Amino acid sequence: MTTPAGVLVYARPDGTVGVRNHLLILSITGLTGPTARRIARAVPGARVVATPYGSGLLGDDEAVQMRSLVALGRHPNVGATLVIGASPPKVVEVAEAIGASGRPVERLILDECDHDAITLTERGIRIAARLLRELSRQRRVPAGLDSMFLALECGRSDPSSGLVSNPLVGKVVDAVLAAGGTAVLGETIEWLGAEHLLAARAQDPRVAEHIRAAVERRERMAIAAGLDLTGNNPGPTNVAAGLSTIEEKSLGAITKGGSATIRGVVGIAEAPAGPGLWLMDAPAYAPESVTGLVAAGAQLALFTTGVGNSFVSGLAPTIKISANPATSARLREQLDFDASDVLERRATLDDAAARLLALVRDVASGTLTWGEVLDEGEEVVSRMGPAL
Amino acid sequence: MSWDATVLADSDNVAVALRRLEAGERVTVHAPARALEVTVRETVPLFHKLAIADIAAGADIRKYGQRIGQSRDAIRAGSWVHVHNLASCRASAAHSA
Repeated sequence: MTTPAGVLVYARPDGTVGVRNHLLILSITGLTGPTARRIARAVPGARVVATPYGSGLLGDDEAVQMRSLVALGRHPNVGATLVIGASPPKVVEVAEAIGASGRPVERLILDECDHDAITLTERGIRIAARLLRELSRQRRVPAGLDSMFLALECGRSDPSSGLVSNPLVGKVVDAVLAAGGTAVLGETIEWLGAEHLLAARAQDPRVAEHIRAAVERRERMAIAAGLDLTGNNPGPTNVAAGLSTIEEKSLGAITKGGSATIRGVVGIAEAPAGPGLWLMDAPAYAPESVTGLVAAGAQLALFTTGVGNSFVSGLAPTIKISANPATSARLREQLDFDASDVLERRATLDDAAARLLALVRDVASGTLTWGEVLDEGEEVVSRMGPAL
Repeated sequence: MSWDATVLADSDNVAVALRRLEAGERVTVHAPARALEVTVRETVPLFHKLAIADIAAGADIRKYGQRIGQSRDAIRAGSWVHVHNLASCRASAAHSA
């Protein structure tokens, strides 16, 4: 693959670059989600991230909610954020953490609207309208591929994923990393059976041990729950399509990460410390997995599928890729990249990788994905334990 | 050159069917360093696995040059390999003991 040209992006005050310029309505308490959605309906183009939870979260749950909501509020693809919540201390804390990134941020609190959701809506529409107009003054500027941070995901995989789509993504990842970019591969349970290959690519023994320990922890969780992974992961859809064991699925899945050295393992929604390839120790189900990767700072997701998977990120354009000829023909307005010509040996993996990299540059520069056109996007922050 | 199933690594004992394979067919299987022919013993759905060699009971099943599990029973070359005769070696109390 030749060294590719750059992309057109939004430069943020904190030095990050966005591939979109979203106005985000961020509801940080379950009480205010419906108002966030009403505001977004009144101001077309605004995105909504709304957690259904609020008080009573404990330990890791509290930390992950807070980290994720702040990270999504100051995401590179977000140009301005309106934070909405039920009561002051948390709304102020989140808004201030987002504001530290230099982004325009405003806040609205239900308590300060006499608990009147209609007043909250009216004030929110006025603020959102002003923010959106202000955002529209920003222009894209040229940047290199080194500014790209890719989230890597697969869902509803079939054997064509491991055969073509995932190695294809791996080649594009290698090219972006060679240019100085960043990528994160999550879904810990799908390293199981392939962890020795990942550990062998770790930057140092400490990282290798972290990879093995993360897999062992998930495996113990499955055993403690009395689960037989077959039928669970691989799930019924995977099994019907021909994947038999978690080892088989994992060995196909990890090829999305290409061949680079693994710099480290981050926690869910945790930003990596620099460019290069990183792993995220996190749940595998697409909605919470993708949100974790996007909250870590990925501006764009590469998402492979065998039989089709409808989930896309609400903030990061998500490029859907399949090499299954029947899927590609069936989901023409939902899959962004058809790699079935490689499977049918009408094109080489290198040819397809050059085309996919061109699409990455295109989408990063503003071309809409099908998921964006159809407004399929959502963000889902993980929950782990009991709450008060 | 055309083939009906593909082997990802030369040490593998299963191939991936690139079309639905029918019992009795003699099919061409492509591997990185070789090509072989296998007589199909039973229907193998598209993208499912075909045994390309006889596999003993309890032996490793290999794809991607790696172990993807173990055979539950002896498997004859040309058989369909899936959850009925291939078991994961991971995430079960028996295997982690």
